[in-house]
Amino acid sequence: MTTLSRRDFLKMGGAAAAALAVGQFVPPSVAQAALATGQVNAQGDGEIATMCEMCVWRCGVLAKVRGGKVVKLDGNPDHPHSNGKLCPRGQAGLATTYDPDRVLSPLVRVGKRGEGKFREASWEEALDIVAWNMLEIKKKYGPEAMVFSSTHNLSQVQFENLLQAYGSPNYGTQRSLCFNAMIVANLMTYGMEEPGRSYEGVKYIILTGRNLAEAISNSETGTLIDAIDRGAKLVYIDPRFTKTAGKAAEWLPIRPGTDLALHLAFINVIISEKRYNAEFVAQYTTGFDELAASIGQYTPEWAAEKTGIPAETIRRIAQEFSDAAPNALAHNGWRTSNFVNSFQTERAITILNALVGNWGVTHLPAGGEESGALGKPPQPGYPRISALRLDGVPWKYPFVPLKLGVFQELRDNILKDDPYQAHGWFISRQNPAQSIPDRRKTLQAFAKMDFIATVDVIMNDTSWFSDVVLPEASYLERYDPLMPMGAKAFIRQPVIEPQGQAKSALWIFKQLGERLGLGDYFQYADEEDYLNQQLAPTGVSLEEVRAKGYAELPEGEAEVYKWNTPSGKIEIKSSTLEKAGFAAIPTWEEPPAPKSGEFYLLTGKDARQTQFATHNNLLLKKYDDEPRIWMNAKTASENGLVDDDLVEVTSEVGKIKVHLEVTQAIRPDCVYMTPGFGHLSMGLTTAYGLGASDSDLHISYTDPISGGQALSQTFVTVRKA
Amino acid sequence: MKLRINLHPALRLPPITWVLIPLMAIGFTVAMVRFALGIGPISNLNNTYGWGFWISFDLFTGVAISSGGFIMAGLVYILQIKEFKPLLRPSVLTAFLGYLMVAIALLVDLGHPERIWYMMVYWNHTSVLLEIGICVMSYLTVLAIEFAPVVFEGLKWEKPAHLIHKFIMPFVILGVVLSTLHQSSLGSLLLIESTKLHPLWWTPILPVMFFTSALSIGLSMIILESSLSARYFQRGLETHLLEKLARAIPYTAGTYLLLKLADLAFTGELGLLFTSGKMSLLFWAEILIGCITPIIMFSIKKVRQSPNGLLAGAVITLLGMILNRFNVSWFGIARLNDPGYAPSLVEMSISVAIFSAGILAFGLAAKYLPLFEAEEHAPATGD
Amino acid sequence: MTKQHAYLFDATRCIDCRACMIACSVENNVEMGESYIWLSGAGVMGEYPDLKRASMPYHCMHCLEPDCESACPVGAWHKREDGPVVYDASKCIGCRYCMNACPFQVPHFDWNKGIIEGAFIRKCTMCTQRLEVGQVPACVHTCPTNALVFGERADLIAEAHARIAAHPDRYINHVYGEFENGGTSYLILSHVPFTELGLPEMPETPVNAVSEAVMEGTIPFALAWGTVLSGVAIGINQMNKKKTPSSPALPPRGEGSNPPLPPVEGSGVRENGTEATK
Ligand SMILES: Nc1nc2c(c(=O)[nH]1)N[C@H]1C(S)=C(S)[C@@H](COP(=O)(O)OP(=O)(O)OC[C@H]3O[C@@H](n4cnc5c(=O)[nH]c(N)nc54)[C@H](O)[C@@H]3O)O[C@H]1N2
Ligand SMILES: Nc1nc2c(c(=O)[nH]1)N[C@H]1C(S)=C(S)[C@@H](COP(=O)(O)OP(=O)(O)OC[C@H]3O[C@@H](n4cnc5c(=O)[nH]c(N)nc54)[C@H](O)[C@@H]3O)O[C@H]1N2
Ligand code: SF4
Ligand code: SF4
Ligand code: SF4
Ligand code: SF4
Ligand code: SF4
Ligand SMILES: [Mo]
Repeated sequence: MTTLSRRDFLKMGGAAAAALAVGQFVPPSVAQAALATGQVNAQGDGEIATMCEMCVWRCGVLAKVRGGKVVKLDGNPDHPHSNGKLCPRGQAGLATTYDPDRVLSPLVRVGKRGEGKFREASWEEALDIVAWNMLEIKKKYGPEAMVFSSTHNLSQVQFENLLQAYGSPNYGTQRSLCFNAMIVANLMTYGMEEPGRSYEGVKYIILTGRNLAEAISNSETGTLIDAIDRGAKLVYIDPRFTKTAGKAAEWLPIRPGTDLALHLAFINVIISEKRYNAEFVAQYTTGFDELAASIGQYTPEWAAEKTGIPAETIRRIAQEFSDAAPNALAHNGWRTSNFVNSFQTERAITILNALVGNWGVTHLPAGGEESGALGKPPQPGYPRISALRLDGVPWKYPFVPLKLGVFQELRDNILKDDPYQAHGWFISRQNPAQSIPDRRKTLQAFAKMDFIATVDVIMNDTSWFSDVVLPEASYLERYDPLMPMGAKAFIRQPVIEPQGQAKSALWIFKQLGERLGLGDYFQYADEEDYLNQQLAPTGVSLEEVRAKGYAELPEGEAEVYKWNTPSGKIEIKSSTLEKAGFAAIPTWEEPPAPKSGEFYLLTGKDARQTQFATHNNLLLKKYDDEPRIWMNAKTASENGLVDDDLVEVTSEVGKIKVHLEVTQAIRPDCVYMTPGFGHLSMGLTTAYGLGASDSDLHISYTDPISGGQALSQTFVTVRKA
Repeated sequence: MKLRINLHPALRLPPITWVLIPLMAIGFTVAMVRFALGIGPISNLNNTYGWGFWISFDLFTGVAISSGGFIMAGLVYILQIKEFKPLLRPSVLTAFLGYLMVAIALLVDLGHPERIWYMMVYWNHTSVLLEIGICVMSYLTVLAIEFAPVVFEGLKWEKPAHLIHKFIMPFVILGVVLSTLHQSSLGSLLLIESTKLHPLWWTPILPVMFFTSALSIGLSMIILESSLSARYFQRGLETHLLEKLARAIPYTAGTYLLLKLADLAFTGELGLLFTSGKMSLLFWAEILIGCITPIIMFSIKKVRQSPNGLLAGAVITLLGMILNRFNVSWFGIARLNDPGYAPSLVEMSISVAIFSAGILAFGLAAKYLPLFEAEEHAPATGD
Repeated sequence: MTKQHAYLFDATRCIDCRACMIACSVENNVEMGESYIWLSGAGVMGEYPDLKRASMPYHCMHCLEPDCESACPVGAWHKREDGPVVYDASKCIGCRYCMNACPFQVPHFDWNKGIIEGAFIRKCTMCTQRLEVGQVPACVHTCPTNALVFGERADLIAEAHARIAAHPDRYINHVYGEFENGGTSYLILSHVPFTELGLPEMPETPVNAVSEAVMEGTIPFALAWGTVLSGVAIGINQMNKKKTPSSPALPPRGEGSNPPLPPVEGSGVRENGTEATK
């Protein structure tokens, strides 16, 4: 791999892209294309509109290019996710593209798995190896023996296309580790995955562990701060005093896992004091009476004992919230995978909003990720799949949508061969080696595989354990399918030539599909052809989209007061849950709690890192904090620990060593770790050796309704190492 | 003490040379590393402590201890107190070498030593450092001229020696003016640090304070250098002359002390003397060692008349006043988000090397040049 | 009149994400070990559970009367009419007096560069290369919460006071930089005392006022002092000549008891009679 002086990475870039012998198409010269659309001048200097992929929010980017190199990324003011701004990760995108550790050639493992010895291979050879193994597994064990997993990205349609054409039911996504509780709760209540949130005119905001100032969603983060500035009151609920807490009028350091109790008590106050919007409730909801009948037990006094928040505070906040309604917003959260009762918590939050009639003001129906206005390449029907899914959907988890899945269960069942044995794993844009709790088990699952192939941009921990690594072109070097958003479809387009041998996912999946004999499913000549087919119904030319950054789409009028539930109303009592014998209205479930001497292990995002993906980014590292485990100052001194002590942290499933950060900003019964450190891959020369992995400690618990993992439900002991 | 031993032809190098030369070699090597790789690798200087040991020691102390030159020149040439003539040449040499050391140290310290001459070209008239730079460079030239006759005499070039002698006065006056300016400007250099330098030291009259203390330092240096020369070069100690210089120290130190107290009283900050913790301690140390002790010691005739008393008194005065230079340029300066700074041994080795070179140069000059020559023509009282 | 650019930073809006810092590094190609903008401030304050947070991105204040400019011997600094305080590396001798002079501790030095590579001073430039093409500085441009905004100094001061007036409960009633150190082009609003943001307490008179006044007096003083010294020298000389024309005069404060000897070159006779060996 290239050895570059760390200092000079920015000066490098744009290594001449070698034309490839393999495949039907050679990537078009980016500069030539940009010149044709007037985005750059003859010297190759200019600004090209594209989209960020440093996280899943996908902000609009204006990439400044100079002579074939990208030198600066600015937020695109035309894009509603960026509003002209980029978050730290978006700003640092260059350092991912020009990461000296980028994988720039297909790699084939030569040493033992996990030893990290690879040789460079041609695309032809690497793709042949992957295809041969996949065909072999299919032949020997059936297509279900091949697991496919990928985290949401713009080319995921073609990933799903590949997996469905291949015929495997086993699809692993990040979602059960992330937002299953929220999505399933919304589906049950509103019949939609996630309503849109509007901060316009909002006067009262309750964020339950939605750390918007650090777990950044660029535009939403900005809008939240605007709302606070305008005078909206923010109540922030989190065992940690996060940076969002720092912006809140009130911070409630709740006992982890008791958010449900708190929200039940809010509902109790609102119903018992008749503070709900009776008209709205009567017209648009079902099941209010059942809720009213059962909510009496959940008094603020009762909740105070569970949550540690004074009853008067709970009562007052409920009152203030209902007073502010409909300009009030109780946020569902995003990564709601905290406790096994998180699904009920999500339901309670959703219902809280419905009761006071926030619908139509702070909560609106949201457009999906797909737009009917765009076309797509023709596709034959997929083979019928009869095998059960390894992750228990739907046979064990009937309410979990197929495309969400239960990833941790998939991993566990690979280990158990339940209900059958898996033999191969094809992973794209995902790092399960770190994102699934209980890393040791994930590595064991890898070890059981006959074959693992990974599509990634760097040698992440998953690539490190793979047999073949396929280098994708970075988001600044490739096309992806268009991203529709409201009345526009935004483009991701290359702003520089792909470095080395890197290729787009669209290209890789098509190549693989062809080698698997599934060429009919990939009816696009190249990336541009794919986009042209998408644009065909709109009559907009690709050139125009490239120059402008987006295509205008005809806008469909969304009906506001319409819900896709069995009753067509907001279901306070879920008919679906009732039928299946689950609690149909939110009901208290006592979550497990740490024994004395143990701590809740909390996890959560850091504004400078994305998940398990960016720790090798030199610019992010430059401005990030040291990854240490937080402990309350008083607790630390009671335990004879001081700042920066090396401590040993032990859970039921793992043990790590990490340095201590003594802080006031956390409950005395919790510790907190930033996820994503403690990499195993030595191919990440910047990140290797930094911090420790909380995934080593996390225990897998799955919420039986939503399939969500319970990431705060791990208890640890901490002692001086 | 009056015993004199022939300096010539004792060619045997004193044993201290064998200490000095390795020290110089180490410093030289370090300096080469510094020029190749930068200041960072060899020092603990950082963005908070852009100035550290080098500036406090090489510049602030270096310039101060070279003040004997202008004092002697002023006494002998301007006030025409000819009896001090025997002390003139060594003082001028000490000053010359002192400034040369300052200049060499600055060449190591500057980011762009090769651009030192830019100071002569790009003038920023509000910069105190510019004034100091120009004064020091010019004064070094003046000192060279003042000292040139000694060299010429050593070379037996009588004519140029005479010539310089004849036109020495304007240079002497220029020298005294330049010295007055930069000795006090060294204090002005810190005026801009009004928000950082502790109020025990920061005052708009910093230049006056610096000039006053430079007088104590200069006088003490002459005493020290004469005493040591007497010991190491086995020449007569002009105790009677030194006694007279010593007599002036209580006045210079007293003026300094009075100004300091008056200034603090005037600004109503006298309380700081006791309320500033470490800073108060440093301040007291400086005042006790550099002012009060010398005032007491040198007010006692016995002390003034004893060679040991003179030497001890001079050393104490110097220590106190050098502490002052460190206080104002380092210890007393508060820095935002102070990461702390302690000079590394490697960093100090450069100063040590330059200092060693200075001592060696003085020794060589004493050996090969008629350094103590004027003595012969000067009267002396018995002691 | 040229627009006097300035920044307004509002600590109540800042989420300490540090996008501004990364943007600066990229825009200005700042090396890994260096930064023109850094995190300052207390972070978490108070004791659990009564906590507050505050921090700010700290960079050059672009003072109206810059001390770096005042101090630099070779005039490498220059306050531009449109706001930025800029540095001319081609003049710099690397003395680092600007670092010492700056009351905000802003300029940095290339500690790890030898004389071949050249060690220079580094500091925020206000992204003049962006101003030139009508863009705001990179740090401001990217700030996801608009905690940093950019514009005409007078407008921003008005805006800052308007924000305070609109939410007097939220802000400390002071716009840092309006008058500090003679006024700066980095204006700051805060909900916590400014010292908690790591800002120094500053008088309204620029810290260079005294040294500049002293410098102004230097040449007159030098001339006067030179004249006095010449006068004294001439005077004493005359006096001495008058007193004992045949021999040099006694020093005014001299002991008087020692008969002065004429300065005969090379007499070699010592008072005690010992012959000086030559
Ligand atoms: N910078 C950055 N931004 C990101 C991401 C990133 O990786 N980096 N990832 C994006 C993605 S994929 C997601 S899903 C979102 C996630 O965004 P968020 O939903 O905000 O999720 P986290 O940051 O994972 O966790 C939020 C908080 O939950 C708290 N918490 C833990 N247990 C409990 C509990 O029982 N109750 C309560 N009330 N709080 C609890 C933690 O202390 C943490 O502060 O962020 C997105 N934005
Ligand atoms: N302990 C702990 N576990 C968690 C969480 C937590 O907060 N703490 N958060 C959970 C959440 S919310 C989520 S969403 C999941 C995320 O879990 P994952 O999706 O598994 O994790 P990521 O780090 O997002 O993985 C992204 C991978 O894509 C690679 N990549 C980046 N850009 C590209 C590209 O352009 N092309 C390709 N092919 N690859 C690319 C990166 O190198 C990285 O390896 O983790 C969950 N797990
Ligand atoms: S939120 Fe940040 S990382 Fe995510 S897409 Fe936007 S700029 Fe990129
Ligand atoms: S903050 Fe410092 S560096 Fe910046 S203009 Fe002011 S004095 Fe100069
Ligand atoms: S380091 Fe350079 S810019 Fe700073 S004062 Fe010295 S010469 Fe001027
Ligand atoms: S103005 Fe430019 S140089 Fe200054 S801190 Fe901001 S981005 Fe950096
Ligand atoms: S980008 Fe804005 S919000 Fe983020 S740290 Fe900088 S000033 Fe604060
Ligand atoms: Mo997520």
